Amino acid sequence: MALPAIGSAGLALDDVAARLAAALPSDLSDLRVQEPDTVVAVVAPAVLHDVALRLRGLEGLAYESCNFVAAVDLGDGFEAVYHLYSFAANSYLELHVAVPRAKPVLDTVSDVWPAADWHEREAFDMMGIRFEGHPDPRRILLPDDWVGHPLRKDYVDSIENHPNV
Amino acid sequence: MSDQFATTAPDEAMALALRRIADSEAAGRGSEMAGLGFNQVVVNMGPQHPSTHGVLRLVVTLDGELVKDVIPVIGYLHRGKEKIAEKRTYYQYIPIVDRTEYVAGMNCEWGYVRTVEKLAGIEPTRRAEFIRVIMAELNRIASHQVGVGTFTADLAPLGTAMVFYAFRHREKILDLLEAASGARMMFNYFRFGGVRYDLPDGWVETCRELMLQVPAWCREYEALVNDNAVFLQRCLGKGVMTQDDVADYAITGPNARASGVAHDLRRTRPYSVYPELDFEVCLGRHGDVYDRYQVRVDEIRESAKIVLQCLDMLPAGPVQLGTLRAPYVVTPPPGACYTAQENPRGEFGTYIVSDGSRYPYRLKYRDPCFVNLQIFPKLLRGNKIADAVAISGSMDLVLGGIDR
Repeated sequence: MALPAIGSAGLALDDVAARLAAALPSDLSDLRVQEPDTVVAVVAPAVLHDVALRLRGLEGLAYESCNFVAAVDLGDGFEAVYHLYSFAANSYLELHVAVPRAKPVLDTVSDVWPAADWHEREAFDMMGIRFEGHPDPRRILLPDDWVGHPLRKDYVDSIENHPNV
Repeated sequence: MSDQFATTAPDEAMALALRRIADSEAAGRGSEMAGLGFNQVVVNMGPQHPSTHGVLRLVVTLDGELVKDVIPVIGYLHRGKEKIAEKRTYYQYIPIVDRTEYVAGMNCEWGYVRTVEKLAGIEPTRRAEFIRVIMAELNRIASHQVGVGTFTADLAPLGTAMVFYAFRHREKILDLLEAASGARMMFNYFRFGGVRYDLPDGWVETCRELMLQVPAWCREYEALVNDNAVFLQRCLGKGVMTQDDVADYAITGPNARASGVAHDLRRTRPYSVYPELDFEVCLGRHGDVYDRYQVRVDEIRESAKIVLQCLDMLPAGPVQLGTLRAPYVVTPPPGACYTAQENPRGEFGTYIVSDGSRYPYRLKYRDPCFVNLQIFPKLLRGNKIADAVAISGSMDLVLGGIDR
């Protein structure tokens, strides 16, 4: 199956935001446009997987690719940033999902976008966010026996953290 | 089976490969690896292996000669660059970015510098924009020469002959980059609002002379391999990537264009002075190993075309904003931003979160090789192990970018 031609929807960024607001009115909050190429929205963790499925299947404006997933430590909690790309709209959609520090668990979206697989593993490796339903939830960049998650702001480096060094 | 193995090698990837075999055997026929246990063998390829182009490790499950399963293992070159970013000022971090996709350092630096410029609202000078495009395209040529050269060496119909043709030409480009920046590969050349040095005397003429030779270089590469029967047998129809794969796995760069997806950020989301330049987006049709090779050779030609245009259009003026000290301290307002650009291997982006201080609060790379590598298990499954080497060579991976 061929992909839609890039930019074939011919929509300006504001129109993309309006279409998204109409298609998922209750699930995308704080919808705003970040020039020149990104629509930013906040999604509740509970509906993340459902929103992902609907965005991927959105008529005429499908978000076919998951560009990357970034985990950010905000101090009192984490934030997972899902960066999606739509070929038809030729623009990005950035989903911000709050993750509580006490229980850093999210649903995986790697079944919706296979590209999210390794980014989720990296988010677990570096920030300690666990992804429920992930097919291969191992560390990815650090050794298997590493202790702790180094990109957390409260991480303290110590020789105890890497027993084989 | 997995318990037995655990005593000899405490290695999660190996254990996983064996567990998958055991699971598929337990599941009976119908599972993708079922019923083949008799011939199955798990081979560890890398991290020190000449055809993985760096410290990539593949745990390959073979049935006879056929690849049944692949588990890529990465991280052997991990240097914690995202953590380092949080401890350095924006300015101090520029040389670190070179080491990301180290075959294309100029492009990486540009990606990082553009994100910070966008966050801080800095506009580079016009002469600097042209110099940046020239450097990025020169580096793209050099990078594709590495990609094409080492790829043909993997196929081995010509031994390593092609590597030396490509690397001999690449050396001339590195000389140019060295004359401008002072270093062959780790440039530290880009600055916020411009570049570090103006071009030295006579550089433009030398560069123009060299770029006029590029079409002849490409003809030389093509004359060496394009009609070679062994080469064609090993390339045509192998490792086909469909357009759906491109979307699913977020493949970008020449690998996506070889499948006919016209995704080239220089055209689809133009930045810098690319809208003023005339060049083609090189596309393949079949998405196989051959198309991925041919797209890269074509892109070498197009990049030379871009450089020649930029040399003609190069305006006079400063290459940096204000005084020398101006760009040292950059304090972007709080906020987050992602910018992406077309690196030789695809979309290279940096996502930076700023808290208003002199240090990035969080920096995340979107590296094309890291993303492209994810499709390996799908692409290699069902191929012969020798073709697996050809296919991985055609993806042109750089481990510095994957491991960061």
